[in-house]
Amino acid sequence: MDASHQSARLEKARAALAAVQSRVGTTRSVTGVECWETPVLPLAATLSDALPTGLRRGQVVAVQGSTSLVLALVAEASREGSWTAMIGMPQVGVVAAARRGIELSRLALIPHPGAQAPAVAGACVDGMDVVVLGPRLALADADRRRLVARARERGAVIVSAGSWEGAHVTLTVESSRWRGLGAGDGRLREREMTVAMSSRAGGQVRRVLLTLDVDTGLRRESRDSVGQPAALEGAA
Amino acid sequence: MTAAVVATTRRAVLWVPDWPVVAAAAEAGLSPSAPAAVLHGRGMVAVSAAARAAGVRRGQRKRLAQRACPDLTILPYDEARDARQFEAVAAAAEEVVSGVEISRPGLLMIPSEGAARFHGSEEALAEALVNAVAEIAGCESAVGAADGLLAAVLAARSSALIPAGESARFLSPHPIDTLTLAAMERTKREAVEDLVSVLTRLGIDTLGAFTDLPFSDILARFGPAGAWAHRVARGEDVAPPVLRRAEEDIAVDYVFEEPAQNSQQLIPVARLLAERLDSALLDAGMRCGKVRIVAATERGQQLERVWRTDVGVRAGAFAAHMADRVRWQLEGWLSGTADGPERSGLVSLGVTAEDVVPLGSEQSYLWGGVSGADSRAQRTLERVQGLLGPDGVLAVREQGGRSPRERVLALPWGQEAVDSRPLAHPWPGGIPDPAPATVLAAPGPVQVLDAGGTPVSIDRRLAMSAPPTWVRLEADPTDERARAANRHPASGHVGKVEGPVWDRPRPVDSWAGPWPIAQRWWSTEASRGAYMQIALGSSQAPGDEGTVAVLVAFRGGEWQLEAMYD
Repeated sequence: MDASHQSARLEKARAALAAVQSRVGTTRSVTGVECWETPVLPLAATLSDALPTGLRRGQVVAVQGSTSLVLALVAEASREGSWTAMIGMPQVGVVAAARRGIELSRLALIPHPGAQAPAVAGACVDGMDVVVLGPRLALADADRRRLVARARERGAVIVSAGSWEGAHVTLTVESSRWRGLGAGDGRLREREMTVAMSSRAGGQVRRVLLTLDVDTGLRRESRDSVGQPAALEGAA
Repeated sequence: MTAAVVATTRRAVLWVPDWPVVAAAAEAGLSPSAPAAVLHGRGMVAVSAAARAAGVRRGQRKRLAQRACPDLTILPYDEARDARQFEAVAAAAEEVVSGVEISRPGLLMIPSEGAARFHGSEEALAEALVNAVAEIAGCESAVGAADGLLAAVLAARSSALIPAGESARFLSPHPIDTLTLAAMERTKREAVEDLVSVLTRLGIDTLGAFTDLPFSDILARFGPAGAWAHRVARGEDVAPPVLRRAEEDIAVDYVFEEPAQNSQQLIPVARLLAERLDSALLDAGMRCGKVRIVAATERGQQLERVWRTDVGVRAGAFAAHMADRVRWQLEGWLSGTADGPERSGLVSLGVTAEDVVPLGSEQSYLWGGVSGADSRAQRTLERVQGLLGPDGVLAVREQGGRSPRERVLALPWGQEAVDSRPLAHPWPGGIPDPAPATVLAAPGPVQVLDAGGTPVSIDRRLAMSAPPTWVRLEADPTDERARAANRHPASGHVGKVEGPVWDRPRPVDSWAGPWPIAQRWWSTEASRGAYMQIALGSSQAPGDEGTVAVLVAFRGGEWQLEAMYD
């Protein structure tokens, strides 16, 4: 076998590898450390502290304990043109979704996929940008692993409302506090939640104080602290 | 409202006097000579000739109108009906001339030059139009012709034919408030009404006095609205006529020899119809934006539904795509699950392509083509619909309403929306924002207890029996501890728990309400309840602190969980 033929084959193999890498989004740098170069979906500024890596395509984000946080996570991406499917969430508040900035014309609800959940979720991961999975879906662990692989290949983001074994990032609402109600008077105005962020890569659990429903009422205090998450560094 | 310079065209105008009342009377089966009036809001918007003779006027209140004419028939206002019925008049006029513009229901514009040459003279054209409308559509009309928009509208009101170049002279003695007749849309009409009221207060009461003012001064003082009015009052045009293209809807239908009872009989027919429609569209060189499926049942009922289609990207798949929609629709109807009349066999089935446009002239994005992500997402959702059926994938949109559940309209993906409750209406007394992130599909059980553990109740005058102190939500169904705690001792360790399994009571942190919502008492969807927002403190369970907020409603003596602010 002559050398030119061999080098041509090597060239072809390198090109194929480069194509796969650019599609999947990993490149191996000189130091041998794998680094991500996947595009990031836009994320609201309020949440950038809770999710410093951003909403990366191909990743799984699990959110426990708050539907509002799920909606807030996907809102900015939806506003910027992403398509969102919500599977197995029959009780999601559509008005709340719209208020958080989700574009309803690019939102499809699949409330009861039933036994077809793996097929439906697979189809949505193929075709939609953001797929939100509800807590009670008939997905086995193998189905979940397949979905992650597919999402990584297709560049979709999976947001799981509920726990997900091996999620890249898990956001857990540890406590939330509402303000605005009195004894028979007032209305719900403002909500603060403490979110614990743990990532699959390990490291400390970060705790972040988020103010989600900011009331722009006639309050006298300075607005500086509101809307800006204050980081509380805490041990795991 | 721009005063762009366009050539002034000579046009004929066909005007049907009191169109809303004519249309309403025709639909209600009343004689045109009966006294009738159309009521909208607080006043009459249109009055028939007989009622006018009896002293009923536009803008009059219902009670005054009934006093003036006791046998007056009051008809409801319906813009859609006016527009729909006017189609018949437009079609009748199209028998005489080709290409008419419907300015608003009741008023048609026809570019008269070519048509008048064809019929010999404008008089002959007017006569032909009046005859055609009387014979085919069955209503009285008046035709006038002049240069420019306003002159033509006014000429129609007096059935006059104003010679070319005479429009300005014809217009000048008319009162200034006739300007509003040239404004076709409601917002423009309101702006012109404001302008007219200012001009009247300035002492300018005829069009002639208005056009004598220098154009530059009018523009400086009144802006674009004034410039528009000045041009119109001079007898010029501000926009070229927009002609209606008479693209017929394309329809195919199929009559069953024996009434079809099950969907197995219908699937081949659905496919056949879809293929025939597709080939009919292709033969005509057209594509369609909507498809209307109409089925007639044995009992003489009509079932119809409109589906949106976007065939721009995959014209080849059209037949299969439509066959699916037809089949879903029919299965829904035959099984009685869809909201339709009682189930019965189908005798005929028709599919009509609407919004027909010539092939290749579909709307596309600014940068050409349909965006890849959009068509990919559409295809995905259609595939999921194929897996789960049409109701498996829902498109949602916001609509007007008071409680969180009412404010959402969910429809099968791709189905054309029926008229929803308008979002723009004020909806006083609604639950204030922020909207809850979890809205229960049906109200769930909840207990609101006072300090002694007795359920709180709210009486007719919204007085609460005691302030709420404890709330018990339903427990997680997998929580064995909660099940055990709820089990009656007598039923042993394995007995089934009757009713909901209650979680531990949670203390009420703060609360607001009760807010009464009693609505639509006149209809079958009447509802009456008092809503409360309650923030709950932590239960004794570990790892649970802070407050959770819920929205509960008190209806018919019971508390119901409506939504959670989680």
